Amino acid sequence: MDIKKLLTPLTAWGNITKDPVTIKDPLNERPGADRYRGFHRNDVEVCIGCGTCEEICENEAIDMVAIAETKDGDSGLRPMIDYGRCCWCALCVDVCTTNSLSMSNEYTWVTTDPEDFRFVPGVDKKDWDKGDKGWKKPENYEFYSIKRVHMEELSPEERNGSFIEMMKGYSKEQAEKEADRCVECGICTATCPAHMGIPEYIKAIRNDDLEEGLRILYDTNPLPEICGRICTHKCESVCSMGHKGDPISIRWLKRYIADQNPSEKYKKILEVENLQPKDKKVAIIGSGPSGLSAAHYLALMGYQVKIFEKLEKAGGMMRYGIPEYRLPYDQIDKDINYILSLGVEIEYNVNIGTDISLEQLGKDYDAVFSGTGLQLGRSTGIEGSDNEHVYYSTDLLRKIAQGEEIEVAESIVVIGGGNVAMDITRSLARLQKEKYGKIQIITTSLEKEENMPADREEVVEAREEGCVINPGWAPKSIEIKDGIPTGLHVVKCNSLFDGEGRFNPQCDLDVKEFWPGTMIVQSIGQGMDISYITEEMREKLEFGPRGRVQTDEYFQTSLKWLFMGGDIIQGPDVIHGIANGHMAAVGIDRMLNPEK
Amino acid sequence: MQDTIKNLTERFGASNMIEKKPGLIFITIEQSKAISAVTYLRDIEGYTVLTLLTAVDWIEDNVFQLTYLLNNPEQITEIGLRVMIDREKAEMESAHHLWPNVEVYQRELKEMYGINFPGSPRIDENFILEGWNDKPPYRRDFDTKEYAENNFFPRPGRKTNDPAEYMKQKMYPNNPSDYTNKKYNPNR
Repeated sequence: MDIKKLLTPLTAWGNITKDPVTIKDPLNERPGADRYRGFHRNDVEVCIGCGTCEEICENEAIDMVAIAETKDGDSGLRPMIDYGRCCWCALCVDVCTTNSLSMSNEYTWVTTDPEDFRFVPGVDKKDWDKGDKGWKKPENYEFYSIKRVHMEELSPEERNGSFIEMMKGYSKEQAEKEADRCVECGICTATCPAHMGIPEYIKAIRNDDLEEGLRILYDTNPLPEICGRICTHKCESVCSMGHKGDPISIRWLKRYIADQNPSEKYKKILEVENLQPKDKKVAIIGSGPSGLSAAHYLALMGYQVKIFEKLEKAGGMMRYGIPEYRLPYDQIDKDINYILSLGVEIEYNVNIGTDISLEQLGKDYDAVFSGTGLQLGRSTGIEGSDNEHVYYSTDLLRKIAQGEEIEVAESIVVIGGGNVAMDITRSLARLQKEKYGKIQIITTSLEKEENMPADREEVVEAREEGCVINPGWAPKSIEIKDGIPTGLHVVKCNSLFDGEGRFNPQCDLDVKEFWPGTMIVQSIGQGMDISYITEEMREKLEFGPRGRVQTDEYFQTSLKWLFMGGDIIQGPDVIHGIANGHMAAVGIDRMLNPEK
Repeated sequence: MQDTIKNLTERFGASNMIEKKPGLIFITIEQSKAISAVTYLRDIEGYTVLTLLTAVDWIEDNVFQLTYLLNNPEQITEIGLRVMIDREKAEMESAHHLWPNVEVYQRELKEMYGINFPGSPRIDENFILEGWNDKPPYRRDFDTKEYAENNFFPRPGRKTNDPAEYMKQKMYPNNPSDYTNKKYNPNR
């Protein structure tokens, strides 16, 4: 007999002082294991109602029901679970885009009404709502990549001194990989001002059906090359994937679809070779995004459309306000030439108000759409700002786009913290590099770094390129010597708004700096020029806050034949302009061709 | 354990040895030599306990992987023998004569994956899926959702909302593309 075998049973006595692993009172208390998959918990404040849980559920146990307020980034729906079908597999928990959904370790619950087993976790209060035991999505494991596919770009050194487009675009492989991250919830569509079919065109990329993708784009947006590059992409700010990681690169995916479709095939793909012409005529003032969008949808509906453009080329701020390195001119032309190919006429170098009056247009055409935008620079009004070497960013950007030489100084100060300020900063930096071989430019804004209105990447890229961005200062005065600025005096700006949310900057006058610069650029917003609307017409129009003309939901003014949209009404950005133009085209058709 | 692996490799042509952690090794063996290898491990090498017998559906490669996880209680080591079998001809020699509990595992695999073990006791009887008349449900081409839709009716009164559609009704019911598509582009 082996002595070891005799003694082995005695080792059990070693456990006598340890806590038992068995349950003491199993008849009354039987808690599930720490990671048991029991009844669900949902943090309804975190949940955005994307419905991905419903989508993945193999048992169709989940319904999305109206609970919360519907707003940007939140459908207001929350999952209701039918425990008659749930198999407790926890796929819904693991796929949840916000991590709001988890499972408790509670599995025993008795009620006499079978309907009780359908409820909305987190809303219909249950005993197991509190406590943290149960199943949660394990760390470091995702059904989808939470990192976006990086888009190649030119290095800061390559960017400097050149206006070549800096973002290189996605390859097929990259685009499909990025498209694969989309859960198709469609939360983005509501936030996009044009309500683009975003999940649908991303799906078209996944299916490698880029012609279908292009058709989806043109349903809502006739400027996809442009928007694919410079859209303010509000959609990405609400993307459900953004809760755990990077939002989908919706803008770059749009660009991918447009880039891959050659312009000569557009008319065939978009099935516009046999438009049915109408004998009604519409005039459009301005060839910016809203005017072009209205022109496109009116042309699709068969209207004879003529655009009147003040400058020598079409595109408005897209051409004359956005630098070429962000939006190359040939891509603007690709979008615009397609719209013109639908039979849209355009007359350049015509100024409505001086060359032709607005009233005359109203008489000659069945309807007029005006999308004249915001082109006037806004002055800081500080001492010295009336000097001739103090410029507006809008004027400079336009001149650069027109190929005019501008007198770039060796040291420059830019006032403004928005995207336009970044555009002019980075454009001037490129010109400085060309002319002087070095960059000496400083840009400031009232807002502190974290509140700057410019897109984050614009600020980062400007710094990469050698510009100094120094936010949180208020311009005090411009020092002038012998008719030429020598620099800008600034004081520290502590806050912008008062307790009631009114614009009321508070500055610390003791913290001051002087930044030398012989060229000062103001980029603090733009104003509209609607001098083409005569006094007589003004009396018939209604004006709202900030001197904006009041329009109805179809952008129709109280002068029935006059529609207005784009930056002068809403915005300012390209995608609102596009949405406004589309809606105005619908309004014009409803007026001229009412449904019988 | 190293000697055991060496013997498995030399005598039974085992390959693809993976050491998951000290004392846990997976190794792949040809179908025709698998039961001999299992018997050898049990009778000669001291792997007297069958911890489990399970399968994986590698549908892309058109094979099922059977795993015989064997335990040596003296050494406290485990060997997982992996056997790849043709998915189209899903059949494997039975091992019920080696351990009585193999019978239960084999009945489960027959029902869940459709892998047959001819000669295994009660192999054709229902295991847990009484009255099952569909594809074996653990096969990856079994569509759970479709099965649920076809076989289980929804509880009366159930109603769901598509988030995108619901947001549209709430936030922008008047969408210009609906108008332009409906009125001028009925094909879309």
